[in-house]
Amino acid sequence: MKTFLLPLILLSSAATAQVSGNPQPVQTRSFPVTGNSPNICVLQAPTVASGAQVNFRGLNGTLLQIDSLVDPTTLATKAASVELRFDAVCNFPHQLRVEASNNGLFRTATATAAPQGFASAIPYQARFKWGQQTLLLNADAQIRRFNEQSIRVTDPTAGNLSMRFEIQPGASNVQSNAPVIAGNYAETLRITLEPQR
Amino acid sequence: MALRTFALTSLAGLTASGLALASPALAQNAGPSSTQGPIVINGTVPILCAGGTLSASDGSFAVGTLIDTSTGFLLRTLSAPSRTLAGSFCSPRSTIQVSATPMIAQNFSANPPSGFSKTVHYTAVASGWTDVPATFSTAAATNTSALQSRNSAYTGNITVSVSNFTTGGGDTLRMVGDTNYLGLVTVTVSAAN
Repeated sequence: MKTFLLPLILLSSAATAQVSGNPQPVQTRSFPVTGNSPNICVLQAPTVASGAQVNFRGLNGTLLQIDSLVDPTTLATKAASVELRFDAVCNFPHQLRVEASNNGLFRTATATAAPQGFASAIPYQARFKWGQQTLLLNADAQIRRFNEQSIRVTDPTAGNLSMRFEIQPGASNVQSNAPVIAGNYAETLRITLEPQR
Repeated sequence: MALRTFALTSLAGLTASGLALASPALAQNAGPSSTQGPIVINGTVPILCAGGTLSASDGSFAVGTLIDTSTGFLLRTLSAPSRTLAGSFCSPRSTIQVSATPMIAQNFSANPPSGFSKTVHYTAVASGWTDVPATFSTAAATNTSALQSRNSAYTGNITVSVSNFTTGGGDTLRMVGDTNYLGLVTVTVSAAN
């Protein structure tokens, strides 16, 4: 009895080559998951911090009303202070910018020159705290002008932006404790969180 | 009578060249009656899997804007259309495994400051291959459902989806601003011996 062994080695490799699409014992597919978080700054309406109001009637919308601007017996400026808080967030490096329209409390009506010895404008200070940073707006009321201050904030920040507004007793654009000439006095502040310039 | 037995072993069928090699040998056994056989032919199908092809040209999950732009917090309604791997197969028993990495802000390289996060977690699911879908949560320390097995060969579609987006570090955190949050879902089908 004879046995014939036929060499068919070539057929083995031919069978493997017929597989299409490169299947393998292990197959992997990957899917990127993408999204974006836009740069935003949000500054909510202010509220008065509890227990932080002296000689102010409170906040009506965005109007802060001083109760008594002067001491009725001396006509010198009466101390007043208040702290406002704004819920706020900026999720990127940004800046806080504060603008004062008048650089002090000035008479709203067309003003005639104040008689000598009378104060015609009242200085104040507004201190801002935002995250780890502070900003002082010192309105000296010497000249009626636009006064702007800003600070750059390198980190995204969220929480309370606080503003403490203070009028010192006897504050005046002339000598301290000068009597203040009659009239309506006002200042306009504008607070902005925005991209760095 | 001359009886000759041939054992032909191959991974596939015979070729013309193979038969040509056999002919001279057969001729040496000519006689009044000559039988060759039985001839045993066998083959082997390799252990193979194919991951399939995507139903859409874009093989990514585009979630879009992640945050509520009025608060900075992660939106709770985030979603992305599922993706289908069509024509997937494994010739033997197999496993399917899904893994994923959280979405991380790519341009914000520093650690997020207090109150913020640069990570979005989510859950990735690969279904259709096994009765129990393979599931992976990027927020979980362990993912015991990420690997699923089936005991038979299979061909069909694999549906891959993402869902349950949450803020890394907790929902009290806001997301840092970044134009590119990126994560990766990986689906692996493997032949099992």
